[in-house]
Amino acid sequence: MVRLERLSKSWRGCKALDSLSLEIAKGEIFGLLGHNGAGKSTTFGMMLGHVHPDEGDAFIDGHSVTQNRPRALEKVGAIFETPSFYDYMSGWQNLRFFVSLSGAVSRERMQDVLRLVGLEKRINDPVRTYSHGMRQRLALAQALLPDPDFILLDEPTEGLDPQGIREMREMILRLRDEHGLTILLSSHLLSEVEQLCDRVAILHQGRLMYCGNWRDARPEWELEVDAWEVADRVLAMLKVVRTDSHVALPDGLEIADVVAALVRGGVRVSRVQPYERTLENFYLERTTG
Amino acid sequence: MTLFWLQLRGETRKLFARKRTFIGFGAFLVFEIVVLFLLRLPPVQRSLSGAIERMGYDPTQYLSGLTLGLLIVAWTVFLLEALFLALVAGDVVSKEVEDGTLRMMLCRPISRTRILTVKVIVALLYTIVLTLFVGLTALAVGLLNSGPGGLFVVDPPAGIFSFHDFWPGLTRYAIALPLLALSLCTVTLLAFCLSCFNMKPAAATIITLSLLFADVIVRSVPFFEGIRGWFLTTKMSAWIQVFQARVPWEMMVESYVFLLAINVTLFVIGWAVFERRDFKS
Repeated sequence: MVRLERLSKSWRGCKALDSLSLEIAKGEIFGLLGHNGAGKSTTFGMMLGHVHPDEGDAFIDGHSVTQNRPRALEKVGAIFETPSFYDYMSGWQNLRFFVSLSGAVSRERMQDVLRLVGLEKRINDPVRTYSHGMRQRLALAQALLPDPDFILLDEPTEGLDPQGIREMREMILRLRDEHGLTILLSSHLLSEVEQLCDRVAILHQGRLMYCGNWRDARPEWELEVDAWEVADRVLAMLKVVRTDSHVALPDGLEIADVVAALVRGGVRVSRVQPYERTLENFYLERTTG
Repeated sequence: MTLFWLQLRGETRKLFARKRTFIGFGAFLVFEIVVLFLLRLPPVQRSLSGAIERMGYDPTQYLSGLTLGLLIVAWTVFLLEALFLALVAGDVVSKEVEDGTLRMMLCRPISRTRILTVKVIVALLYTIVLTLFVGLTALAVGLLNSGPGGLFVVDPPAGIFSFHDFWPGLTRYAIALPLLALSLCTVTLLAFCLSCFNMKPAAATIITLSLLFADVIVRSVPFFEGIRGWFLTTKMSAWIQVFQARVPWEMMVESYVFLLAINVTLFVIGWAVFERRDFKS
């Protein structure tokens, strides 16, 4: 569905994105994670043709964004963290304007989408009277109106209250499950990403640090021993990597083998338990020193 | 083609949904009434009557609604319309970039060239509609105040000092308005071109006005007498030549071809800059 090939971009000599390549499959909810300035917005910008890549290209449904942007974006919708509208126009007028850029949409379709995002009651009010949550809904409506196959959601829950965040989460799942959309999502709320995304890509200083299903990453264990100095020598021989109190095992090695080796080495093991990995600690492990 | 009309309609609706668009029309009408009031002041009336009398014509016949209408148009365009057009056209791209709405537009499958083309067409349409509005309301204000009569035109820098009866005068007035609108399209395109660069909307407006004022000031310096005809504002003043006793059509065509070339160049520069720009939050 979506393929990024060696996308690179520098801003005034500073590398914002360094040869990013990844693929997003049809029907997938894919999370793009990274600190501020990691290259997420630049990636979104290049996928939408807002930013010209220095190298590489993005392909949506097989169409190159750099070569034929209108064709590539034919079945694409997008919303940003702070959606911008014409405040002096009503929600309905805004939608009609944005829709006019890509073709006509029937009144029935507009009303269906407004019902879906729950904005039908205030749609004739000027946008300047909308709350942030309503603006997000309007942004989602404009992204959905042309009946896209793929939507990009850049910080869709930013600034929303807990109720709004929950509604947005449910909406995203409905869009995938009921409408078959492929979704690329970026968010700093890792708990949301954890609940929504099938796979994630982690960007750090413009470089791809991880791409895949973080739940499938190598299992780790938490150990409590009496002498780490001795234990480290044993672990090094077994090629076990330790970070603080948790250890990652190489392929083919069981935790029972590790414990047995430690005991043989004179180390007293007082606790062994699977390391409960959250997306947050998985993310932080890959983006901090 | 249908899609193009749809986009053009959408952009036009957007422009006319804005209060400022209508406030502008109202402001021009008020300004015209103020100019009329100034022209009705006894010292001004005496001065105008004196000029007509010195040429051997009857001031009661030539200090008419048509004459006042033309004076109101000339003043309004010089003092207000250029500023207003620079303000509107300077906003066309840069304000949308600043507000983030351009990024929303660029999420749709529409080429940058198409976006820019639609925007420039609407800006030019606005220029034409506004100029015709100013011309027609000025005429209406003049006629309501002083009634019909002959047209007296004086513009020493352009070498014009002419008298026309009512109907021939009205015909020339009708020809002059669209030509004036064409001249003002250059102001619009200059501001539009600048708004395609990475700058604040106010900067695009200020630079446009500065360039025009600089052009007017420099061309009035005696040293530049020999090349005065090549200044932008000289070319833009070609519309007034339609009031000459014998209209210099050849010179006027040459001026408008020159302005057309300038306009196309400005659009191409704006387009080239816009195409290459990165739009990021």
